[in-house]
This record gives sequence, C-alpha cells and structure tokens, in this order.
Amino acid sequence: MNLTVNGVAHEVGGSELTPLLDVLRLEVGVMGPKAGCHQGGCGSCTVLVDGEPRRSCLLPAGYAEGTEITTVEGLGGPEALAPLQQAFVHHYAAQCGFCTSGMMLAAQAYIDRGGTDDHEAIQAALGGHMCRCTGYSKIIDAVAAAARGDSFDLTTTAVGKYTRMANGGAE
Amino acid sequence: MAAATVAMDAATEVLTPTSEEEAIAAFGDGTDVLVVGGGTIVVPDLTYRRLQPKKALLLGRSGMSGVSKDGARVTIGATTPVQALVDLPAPVGPCAANVADFEIRSQGTVGGNVCAGEGHEAPRGDLQGALLAVGATARSASAGDVTEEPLEDFLPRRGERLLLSISFDEPAAGAYAGLDRPHTHDYTALSVSGARAADGTVRLAATGAGSHGQRLTSAESGDAEAALNDVSPHDDALASAWYRTKVLPVLVRRVLDELKESA
Amino acid sequence: MKVVGARIPRYDGVAHVTGRTAYVDDVRIPGTLWAKALRSPHHHAGITKLDTTKAEAMPGVHAVITWEDVPLLEYGHLSALGIPADEPLLAKDEVRYLGQPIALVAAETEQLAAAAVDAIEVAFEERPALFDLRQAFDSDAPKIHQWGNWYTHFEGEMDRRQIRKGDIDWAFENADTIVQGVYRPAAIEHAPIETQVCQVVPEPSGRLTIYSCTQALYFSLGVVAAHLQQPLNRFKLVGGTTGGGFGGKVDTATETMTCLLVLKANRPVKWRWTREEEFLCSSTRAPWHMELATAVTKDGWILGQKMLTLHDSGAYSRFSPYGLTKHSFHHTGAYSIPNLSFDGYVVYTNRVPTTAMRGFGVTSVSFAVETHLSRVAKELGLDPIEIRLKNANRIGDTSPNGVAYTDPSTVATLQAIADAIGHELPADYRTMTNEPRAGDLLPEHLVAQVGSTEGH
Repeated sequence: MNLTVNGVAHEVGGSELTPLLDVLRLEVGVMGPKAGCHQGGCGSCTVLVDGEPRRSCLLPAGYAEGTEITTVEGLGGPEALAPLQQAFVHHYAAQCGFCTSGMMLAAQAYIDRGGTDDHEAIQAALGGHMCRCTGYSKIIDAVAAAARGDSFDLTTTAVGKYTRMANGGAE
Repeated sequence: MAAATVAMDAATEVLTPTSEEEAIAAFGDGTDVLVVGGGTIVVPDLTYRRLQPKKALLLGRSGMSGVSKDGARVTIGATTPVQALVDLPAPVGPCAANVADFEIRSQGTVGGNVCAGEGHEAPRGDLQGALLAVGATARSASAGDVTEEPLEDFLPRRGERLLLSISFDEPAAGAYAGLDRPHTHDYTALSVSGARAADGTVRLAATGAGSHGQRLTSAESGDAEAALNDVSPHDDALASAWYRTKVLPVLVRRVLDELKESA
Repeated sequence: MKVVGARIPRYDGVAHVTGRTAYVDDVRIPGTLWAKALRSPHHHAGITKLDTTKAEAMPGVHAVITWEDVPLLEYGHLSALGIPADEPLLAKDEVRYLGQPIALVAAETEQLAAAAVDAIEVAFEERPALFDLRQAFDSDAPKIHQWGNWYTHFEGEMDRRQIRKGDIDWAFENADTIVQGVYRPAAIEHAPIETQVCQVVPEPSGRLTIYSCTQALYFSLGVVAAHLQQPLNRFKLVGGTTGGGFGGKVDTATETMTCLLVLKANRPVKWRWTREEEFLCSSTRAPWHMELATAVTKDGWILGQKMLTLHDSGAYSRFSPYGLTKHSFHHTGAYSIPNLSFDGYVVYTNRVPTTAMRGFGVTSVSFAVETHLSRVAKELGLDPIEIRLKNANRIGDTSPNGVAYTDPSTVATLQAIADAIGHELPADYRTMTNEPRAGDLLPEHLVAQVGSTEGH
C-alpha cells in the first residue's frame, strides 16, 4: 500500500485491516499519533487524512492508501512553529502532552474549514478529544487565539482567567 | 520494524470491491464475512481479537456513498458518512448530529451504524430510531438476491444481509429528543424520534430501549406513558433499565409536543 | 528573582506541540517482544491449576513467567513506613481481585502474545467475594486477606488509627445540637491518556535498562531491585515524560515483571496496557465510608467531633495505611475542634487495590468535613462562611494530633472566597485574621487546646 505521510511517500506491507495508527507508529516510524485507547474513544490517535481529521486507531490501512496523511510533526518543527503550535505553547495548553497531538490536528482542521474563536464551536469540533491534565480551558483559549490570527510572544505565557500577579495587576 | 509485528490475523482475507455489484458478489450469503464500513465499530473488535473473521469486506471504496433526492424521496447509500446527514430535517438530522463526535461521524457510515450488532456496554445503532420514525425502507442483498423492505423487517436480520441503501419520504414534520451527556463522543443512552407524514399519520421510534431500535406504536396516538408497553430496556454502562423507564415517556412527550407545534 | 512570579513557558512545550516528546511507547528498540498478561477473571478464587507448557511451546513465544520465576515474591513497597508485605508480584495460590496478574508472556507480536495467554491452562475454585466494606466486620463475612479483613499492623500492632483528644463526652453532653452524617465518596480511576507502559532492554554488560512511565523513579528502582534480589546498580531506570499519572503510576506496576521476562527471553520486551486493563485492573483512588457526629452550640461553636472512617484498600495494602494515617491527622479539616474521638480502619475487599491519587487520604476528609459543616450551618440557621470563619484554625490552634499551627491561611482563604462570590460578611468577620485566638474568639472550651500537646 502507498501512503504519503507529512509529504513523504511510503510503501507499507501488511494487511489492509491493520489500523493506520499501528502502521504509522511501527512501520513508518512516526510517533506523533498516540495509542491512548485503541478504540476511538480518546482522540490521541487523530491524524489528518487529506486534510480531514480521522481516528487512526479506527481506520483500516486500506482506506489510507493513496491519501496524504498529516501528523503533528507535519504541522511544523521546532525551528518554524505553525501559528497553532505557537498558540499552544503561549497559552500553556499542554501539560503531559499526550493528548496534544490529536487535539492540535483536530483544531487545525477546524480552523482550515473556517472555524472561528467561538468557544462553543471549538468545543463541538474537539468534543471527541479527552484531556486528563488541563481541564480543557487553556486548550480552547489556544485554539481561539489561533483561529483569530493572534501573534504570540513565546518568551512568556498568556495571562489566564485566574492569574493574579504579585503586584496585584494583570501585568 | 516489519509489518508483521501488528498485522491482523494473516488468515483474514480482505476484499475491497469497487462497485455495488462487486460488493454484492463478494458478500455472497454473508457466511464468515465481516462487513467493514468506516471501521469505527468493528476495528476495535479486531484489535482486541473479539472478532477473528475469515473474510473482511472493506466497503469504503465501493462507491455506495451519497445522499440523493428524487422529489420528497431521500436515498442514502450505505457507506455515506453519518456526518452527511446532520443538515437533514428532523428527526434524521438532529439524530445524526448527536452521534459521537465530528471525527467519528465523518468516518462512520450510515450502514455501519444501522447494521451494528447489539451493544452490551451501550446501545448501538443510533440512527435506527430516526429512520424507523420516517418509515424508511432498506435495500439489501444476500446470495445475489436484492430486496427492499421496511426497516423494521430488515433490522432483525441486519447481521445476515449486506445493506446497500436506505430510502424514506421526507416527513411533513419531525422531532428528536435524546439523553445528552457531556461528552459528545458517547453513544446515546436513549433517544426518541418522531415524524408526521404528509397524510397526518404519526410514527414514533426509540433507540436504546431494547436490543435494537423499535417503533413505539402504543404512544403514537398521543399517550406518552403507553410507550413503555412497547419496550424492554436493560441495564448497561450508560444507564439502568429503571432510569430508561423513567425517562422514555418524558422524551416521547417532548417529541409529541414538538410535532403538534409544527402542525 | 527572574523566575518566581514570572510567566514562563514550559521547557517541554515546544517538544509537546511538535510531537518530539518521547513517551515510553515511543522508544523503539529493534527486536522488542510484546508482553501480555494472564489476569484473574474472578474476584476471589483459589488457583487449582496453572500450566504454561502449551503457551511456551507456541512458535514466536520467547518466555512465560509465573510466581515461580520471582526471586522475592512478596515485597512491601512501603516497608520503610512500616507497612509489611502482603501482595505477590504474580498470583500463587489464590487471586483476590478481578484482573490480578497470574502470568506474563513475551512474544514476537502483540496478537501472538494475546493468543499465547489464551493457551495457558488455568483452573480456579471460586470463593465468596466481599465488596461492601461495611460488611467486612461481620462474623460471617468472607475472609479475604491473610490478616483478616482489616489491616492490623499500625504501631503497637493496633488494628486502627485512633485519636483521642480532650473530653469528647463533655462536648456531647454540653452541645445544643448533635449533627450526624455519613459520607461515601466512590473510587475514582486516574484514567491518564497514556496507559501503563514499560520497555526493558538487556545490555551486554548484564545490566537492564528500564524505560518506565513511573512517577517515582528512585522508588521504582528500589522495588524492582528488591523483588529481583539484585543490587541497585544492576538497573538503569530511564524516566521520561509521563502521559499523565495523578498518583496512579507509583505502584511500579509493570517494571518488575517485564524485567523477569527479559531475563528469561534475553530480548528487549515492551508491556503496554490496553485501555481496558487500565480501567479494570489498574489501581484507583479508594472508596471511603466516613461517619461524622458533630457536637455544636446554637451560636456555631464546634465543641467536639466523633468520626469513624473505613478506607477501602481493595485486595492488598499498597499505600492505604499511609493514606489513612494522613487522613487521621487532618480529620478536622481546616477547623479547630478541641474534643475528638477518631477511629479509622484500612479494610480489605475484593476490589482492585487502591492507591495514591492527588492528595489521597486528605481529599476524602476535606469532602466530608466541608459537606458536613454546610449541613451544620443549615441546621443551626447560620451563615455557612461565618461558621467556618469562627472555627477556622488560627496561630496556636492545634491539629488532631496536637501539632500547633504556625501560620494557617484558612481565615484569609475564606474571606477571599466570600469576596470572589459576592457573599457579604459582617464587619467583624471581614476583619478577622489568623492571629492567635483572643476575646470572643477564645471561648472557654477552646482554651485548653491552644498549643496543647495532648494526643493519641
């Protein structure tokens, strides 16, 4: 089977029934998508297939043949972070980071299909993604900021809803 | 690392038809064949070795997808993603919109949803209730024989036939009421769909009150409590039978009221 | 100071958002075998047969381990805190919770390992199980632990944590009202998005390199060395980013068994739990049963509190005696209660053994005390924040075990809460501080407990 991952063509063997997640991690060697549950319930395996977000743990490899797959590595690297990646860093939207890859790809697809900074719309788009660390609010702030086209100072983090600075102000 | 490290049981033969005719031929009489629509329901069963089929039929590229309209008659191909239905009028539209989350809806198919086997931890077949309410028919095949029949006749034998498409006449009015949970990606614990046809007849149906979606004929004349005569809910991970019994008449009442308002 | 008080981005933020962060499952070692566990399908049963011959003979299976392969089968993970060993690494004669590991297989593929587990011949003789910790004390309750149904090894071989302070009978005789309540928080599953996972590599030097998701590197190193009866420098423990732990990844649940497979197979082995295993078999926050009876005056002084706590440890002790101990020290919450009678038991049931989670031991009692205090306020017709401010710990007030507080922040916190929610407080409550009690804030019944060292 032939698939393109982050712009690089790969030929993979094995059964068309193998979940794409396992093909990506074990054959292609791309570790961004995670095996959180292997049953489509957590979203940490989400990748973009021709720009559309899909649970790679549920997608038979045969359905990925001939498609362009984007993983979090394909959004941007440390030398050139995409706006969404900058937003997540600046808004402290990742703690352990395990859900981050899937969240960001779903968010990128949402923005690419015209998603705005409306919090309810973001929640609906990301509703299938679970995070056990952050409580979601900073993730939603980050996606909203990226959807708005904010620019980000990566030497500091955004003031949160409950941030109280030592000098009493919001700095 | 070699692909063999995680390959499915090498003995499973994978068939990938590229047309409806090929799909019908590949399905045969269904013996030892696992039908894979989007994969959202069956792939975990394969991963966890709950299913070890001799043959798997991957329908994703069989061209059986699409929603078409001929006057008031809507026809939905079996491999249409659930997401394609969300803008249809009630009850089908809101029922589809309530299925799981955006990614699952975009990958899961109408056929896979309607033909899902009985769920033990949560009810499956979210769309069954809405489609029963609009009086849908199911076109299916087995051993080369293609039949179209009312959905309620198809459902008990959905495991033995290959679903090809679903058709229904758009109702004059429709309504949907489901138990909502905070996570958008859960199965719906219980939902009620209703539709009023052009000739005024009302049909009600529920998903999550039995082993598959079913009509609530006893309540169609307007008596919400009577719906309990038509169902046998059970306990599962999402809700107890007791809770479903309490909530069902409430959902029926809401649907009936909404149908009346749009009279 | 450059960092304190400043808003610093995470040092690993860029790695997280570019997929560069390496979790244990991302470590790729050529030749790695997959591990799968045979787990008990019963809540409580004797093991009457265990035969791994067929599994071992399957092509592609490199090793199978059972209790016989473990040099030191039972090791008390918290023996440094006086908690004796009670849990076998792999089950020997019996199983006490559904999911308890009995054997472990290493094979070429995940699917093969699972098939090999199915090929292990095992037979059980089911026994009655105990799930409701209130029934643990009944004479006809199933006996499910070698020490009986509750822990008996607190200091002095006491079978409970006990605190007596002041004169509880006086408090109950002189109260205007006694308010009672029962509080039963349920078990909570940590559910980190990353499941338990471990990768072990045999080095040519004879050492084992362990890639672990543990939250407690040195702790896990000690546990592995103890079970394997090897010196610490036999192992190189490589921690990394844990994909969420919350206390659930301190049980050293995978490393020891994976090491044993590696020693037998002489190949690297990875054991990655499924989400099902994580939900069914991984340890949880404990369920608790707490009974409170508070003796109060009609103007809102708490004269005394009686408390009975049952802590559900599940099938084995793990950290429960430690959790209960913390619980007992904090059982008055943030409030100064001079007369106390507390008894707490660590009870065994046939549930998954319970463990640490985010402040375990203390969150349960905070929940009970705060809920209870709101009910007391309601019964007395008093403002719920004012009653708290009145009884809040101040400098010099003493904890249940007689430790004097040096700078408690309860008063300031309550005032900040009132302010944040727009709850108007009378002037004298608005100006309260945590300065030592005096005047109206030091009624006679509180005089004796200030700075008192009377304890259990």
